Amino acid sequence: MGENVAGEAPETDAGVVTGVTTVHDDSELERTIGLTGALAIGIGTMIGAGIFVFPGLAAQNAGLAATLSFAIGGGIALLVALPTSELATAMPRSGGGYYFVSRGLGTAYGAIVGLGLWLGLMFASAFYLVGLGHYASAVLAELGIVLGFSPVVATGLVFGAVLTAVSIGGTENTSAIQNVVVGILLVVLTVFLSYGVLDAVGVFGRETAPEAFFSQGYFPVLSTAALVFTSYLGFAQVATVAGEIEDPGRNLPAAMVGSVVVVTVFYVVTIFVATSAFGAERLGEFGETAMVEVARDLLGTPGAVAILGAGLLATFSSANASILSASRSVYALSRDALLPRKASEVNLRYGTPHVALLSAGGPILVLVATGQTELLAEVASFLHLVMYGLMCVTLVVLRRRNPEWYDPSFEVPGYPAVPVAGAIASFALVAFMQPASIAVGVVVMAAAYGWGRYYAEGVDLEGAI
Amino acid sequence: MTDRPSILVPVRVLEGESLPEGVPDLLADAHVVLLGYHVIPDQTATGQARLQFEERANRRLDEFEEILTDAGATVERRLVFTHDGQQTIDRLIYEHDCLAVLAPNATRGVEDILVAVRGTVGTDRLTRTVAGLFGDRDVTVTLYHIAGEGESDADAQTLLDGLVERLVSLGMDEDSVETRVERTNAVLDTIIEAADDYDAVVMGESDPSLTTFVFGLPADQVADRFLGPVFVVQRERQTDDEEKEDEEGEDDGGDEAA
Repeated sequence: MGENVAGEAPETDAGVVTGVTTVHDDSELERTIGLTGALAIGIGTMIGAGIFVFPGLAAQNAGLAATLSFAIGGGIALLVALPTSELATAMPRSGGGYYFVSRGLGTAYGAIVGLGLWLGLMFASAFYLVGLGHYASAVLAELGIVLGFSPVVATGLVFGAVLTAVSIGGTENTSAIQNVVVGILLVVLTVFLSYGVLDAVGVFGRETAPEAFFSQGYFPVLSTAALVFTSYLGFAQVATVAGEIEDPGRNLPAAMVGSVVVVTVFYVVTIFVATSAFGAERLGEFGETAMVEVARDLLGTPGAVAILGAGLLATFSSANASILSASRSVYALSRDALLPRKASEVNLRYGTPHVALLSAGGPILVLVATGQTELLAEVASFLHLVMYGLMCVTLVVLRRRNPEWYDPSFEVPGYPAVPVAGAIASFALVAFMQPASIAVGVVVMAAAYGWGRYYAEGVDLEGAI
Repeated sequence: MTDRPSILVPVRVLEGESLPEGVPDLLADAHVVLLGYHVIPDQTATGQARLQFEERANRRLDEFEEILTDAGATVERRLVFTHDGQQTIDRLIYEHDCLAVLAPNATRGVEDILVAVRGTVGTDRLTRTVAGLFGDRDVTVTLYHIAGEGESDADAQTLLDGLVERLVSLGMDEDSVETRVERTNAVLDTIIEAADDYDAVVMGESDPSLTTFVFGLPADQVADRFLGPVFVVQRERQTDDEEKEDEEGEDDGGDEAA
């Protein structure tokens, strides 16, 4: 297995996986997240962005065809979620995509994916926090409070700091809260969207705004798909906590595929309802909080208030889930000696990984301060898409090599077409991003690779299951 | 010699100082399933806590195991890192087919034991626990029943007499078993009040909420009011495929002893 620069070796006792525990030599780890909890992680991470932040931006870029952009994003996510499910049932360990790639393709790719995922989650968290800032500002505006400056970044920063502090000091049952939040969101959205759809098809006899589907042409459909792909990053977070999920052979595939399907349906319907209410062009003028205006148009002030509240909840829970995933990736990396062991240290008082949480929280605040919704979203997607592509490659490699330890209980349907298509689609989508996002993403990846070469040159993780 | 009843003793191994006073003596005739567990919040991976605390926790468990063994118990031990202590306790009760779980509070000595009897349900496991733990010892056991509405004194006495008979058939000395019947509406308050005069309490799980009651949040309340150890006798745990097979007397709890 080798050692890193600091002389630390990867943890070797990987343990034996059962349905309810992971059994190590001298202790065992309880699996406590059921199917509901796993679905809540996936849906809770994703739904904040796609419904509450992107509709306005997407409609502006692609017109009514933004519906198609979201469908394309969902299709790609599904193509990746299936291979990820197979890998996860073969290796239900903390660390998700990083774990699969480092075991299948070796340390160098592992470092790129692991550190890339960690940083990608920071970009994603920052993106959600900026979205949260927009909603908080909209609430202030609604209350008639006028500040001398734009409160978006300021509130994003405040919430970011609060989240980090709560993650370090809070011992309350966060997963139970997450389940309730997701439940509430789904109910609110179902009611709202059902009404919206009925309205859009003319049941209430109102004029809708008919327009050309591809009003902005064909290319924006794909570039918008690349932009909004941030709305589909959550299913991989389920794999990040794979080590804590009960009955992983059944629950991991169900939660990953299930959450992608659920959010795709919600997204497509949302864009349909939103563009029907206003037409793409006007919708785009409303920016990040366009859904509030849609709700106001459909249901009056109570609708606007409900969507404002839901938007706050959703973006907050997305940011929360991403920060927690980021700290879990730090754990996976330091367990494998790709980061100092110190980085995943847990304090006995709160039982929380304060070093990991702080080292994520700090950079997140810097990123929030930029206030660049689209750039943050695309960089987050870029880093995730690289991981997604490599996960699909890993699956093909493992299937071909067929090592003894590789025994997934869920097998991807349509092999090899599905994983190959998943890999190609993931890498291809990157090409449709803005040049600035691609540049930042490439720099981050190069830095991750450099760190791996410098710090963990001697560490060999391939097949270290 | 009676069968050693397997008793789950959950200890939050990284908190608190040591096994409470008197507990090793209380368990001298038991087969102890010593569960060291550490509850971590959801934002921490369980493996992360393991990396850091496993050694320390196992050193503590080494000490506890030695103390219990010295007192006469046979001991099996498990160390679990979990997000949900109750789930872990429930799983181990099931895996080791434990007759009872001990809420390990300190006690002065082991002389007078209060056994709260709710009804006829689960009395087999209750009597096996009591006889196994205290049958060979110089201990007075008091069977305590709070009669419900419409239950005559005679009914209550018949219930307790039946239990005495069972205990005697399991090898207990009839003179060391006493019975006591009361009437009240505030059942738990009355039990806790009565328990003050005793060194330890044995009571049935009766329904799942009582385990929560002993180990969940209101546990602090109970500990405040009754400071002694409480054995909570578990109902038979059924596996999925033998749903209604209610055979008593199967004890594979000791089979996995290392």
